[in-house]
Amino acid sequence: MKHQNEFSQKQEHIEEHRTQAGKAQEFSSSDELLRFDAAQTIVPPEIARRLQRSAAEVRPPAARSWWKNIFGG
Amino acid sequence: MDNSSVEPDRRDRPLLQTATADFSKVYEEHSRAIYYLTLRFLGDGSRAEDATHDVFVKAFRRLGQFRGEASMRTWLYRIAINHCQNLVQSWQNRHVLPSSDDAVWDTTPARTDSPLRVLETKELGQRIQKTLDVLSDEYRLLLLLVADEELSYEEIGALVGQSTDSVRGKLHRARKAFAAHFERTN
Repeated sequence: MKHQNEFSQKQEHIEEHRTQAGKAQEFSSSDELLRFDAAQTIVPPEIARRLQRSAAEVRPPAARSWWKNIFGG
Repeated sequence: MDNSSVEPDRRDRPLLQTATADFSKVYEEHSRAIYYLTLRFLGDGSRAEDATHDVFVKAFRRLGQFRGEASMRTWLYRIAINHCQNLVQSWQNRHVLPSSDDAVWDTTPARTDSPLRVLETKELGQRIQKTLDVLSDEYRLLLLLVADEELSYEEIGALVGQSTDSVRGKLHRARKAFAAHFERTN
């Protein structure tokens, strides 16, 4: 009985997955489509590791002098 | 003597650690937006990885020059856009890249008001890239920038060096071109 329940639950899950896979997704505009695409995009973790190494090699950023902020240069 | 590439002084270490810690927050907050722009603008994952790294290194070096007149996101986009445009320019100087003919898409019946239907989201990235590759650099850039909800039309105009009205007009044509070509990638 327990196995039967598990089996039917699995079947339901597969059916649900199939339905979701076959269902068309609609985007009202290219903006929305690109936003969805951007949200799905994963930033490769290697970039952060490389940045950490690079940051250790460069000098710390110097604060801009207050007179340069006012008068430029 | 040029000290720019010299190993940081021991006395600078605490400052460097603070700057690096602060900058890691900047990276956390903006890396996805910058990576996405470079990915879809350059159309290549490994090039986008290099470009994103280089953009943040440049930003880290110039952090002292950030005046806060623009938002951090806009400032980073400016560095990223210059970097990507320089890369594309250098590729164009070495090889002739195929140029797109936007006029074809501009004259295609408008479908911007009808929804873009997608059956397989796993192939969505490829379809989007194919579509963007056909468009001009200008249209591609405008579409990618306007997709970032943090940017206003004014900020986009400032980033691409055009008036807000011009941005609106070009975006209308860019969206139309995108929709027309996206349909063909199905």
